[in-house]
Amino acid sequence: MESVSRRRSLAFRSRDSVINQFRRGWLRAVAFALLWWLLTAGAMGSWLIGAPVVLIATLVSMALVPPFSLSPSGVVYFVPFFIWHSLRGGADVAWRAFHPGMPIAPGLVDYPLRLPPGMPRVFMVNTVSLLPGTLSAELGANCLKVHVLDTRKSVLSELLTVERAVARMFGTSLQKVKGGECNEEV
Amino acid sequence: MTPIDVLSAVLLIAGGIFFLAGTLGLLRFPDVYTRLHALTKADNAGLGLVVAGLAVQAQSWAAVGKLLLIWVLVLLAGASISHLIASRALQRGIQPWRR
Repeated sequence: MESVSRRRSLAFRSRDSVINQFRRGWLRAVAFALLWWLLTAGAMGSWLIGAPVVLIATLVSMALVPPFSLSPSGVVYFVPFFIWHSLRGGADVAWRAFHPGMPIAPGLVDYPLRLPPGMPRVFMVNTVSLLPGTLSAELGANCLKVHVLDTRKSVLSELLTVERAVARMFGTSLQKVKGGECNEEV
Repeated sequence: MTPIDVLSAVLLIAGGIFFLAGTLGLLRFPDVYTRLHALTKADNAGLGLVVAGLAVQAQSWAAVGKLLLIWVLVLLAGASISHLIASRALQRGIQPWRR
């Protein structure tokens, strides 16, 4: 009796996951179709090739990229944040490159990551490299080694801001720091 | 010259200055890590400004979208590759330059 109910619950769960997968795949297919529309400037004849390509791209992405969720308000918050800090980062490094005295004092900083593993962390690693004065050098288990262009400035507060913005975009929360895994040195 | 042309020219020249700064940093900075800083960040901002300068002159929204797509793909490639170069340099025991 128990096994029957378990089997039924398993069947139910797998059907549920198929529906979920279909829902996720559908969103990705829409994104790929938009991309195709963009690349071909909306030429109708191109869909003869475009439709199969969108289908294949969706299937491949379902197989390779684990599901993740994005919060729309988080994305709206992140885009101007990123553009503003990119400009600041570019201006900062340009100033140091043009300055005759070349005011840099580089060093390595260990940053304890609190984002959940997977897509949010990879996104954080890439964002850190594009923002002012920081370059992600190595991603450890729960620790991001960051190369800093000027250790005289406080970088930790900026990394905290970036992490919070990334967490908000993926709609996840930050875990508590577990001590002893990441010794901070500046 | 229309105001759009002026805006476009200002953005393109500003972008060019960032690219110049990135190249100067590549030549002047002392080690692999600091050079990566110069390239990733100055080129990110420079290409962003060049894309913005071209986008204000674009004839259609599809063209604007394509330009933005180019920027995003270059950002993605630049950030991932600079991370790979930096982590490989650390693995090989290359010490960061210190003043």
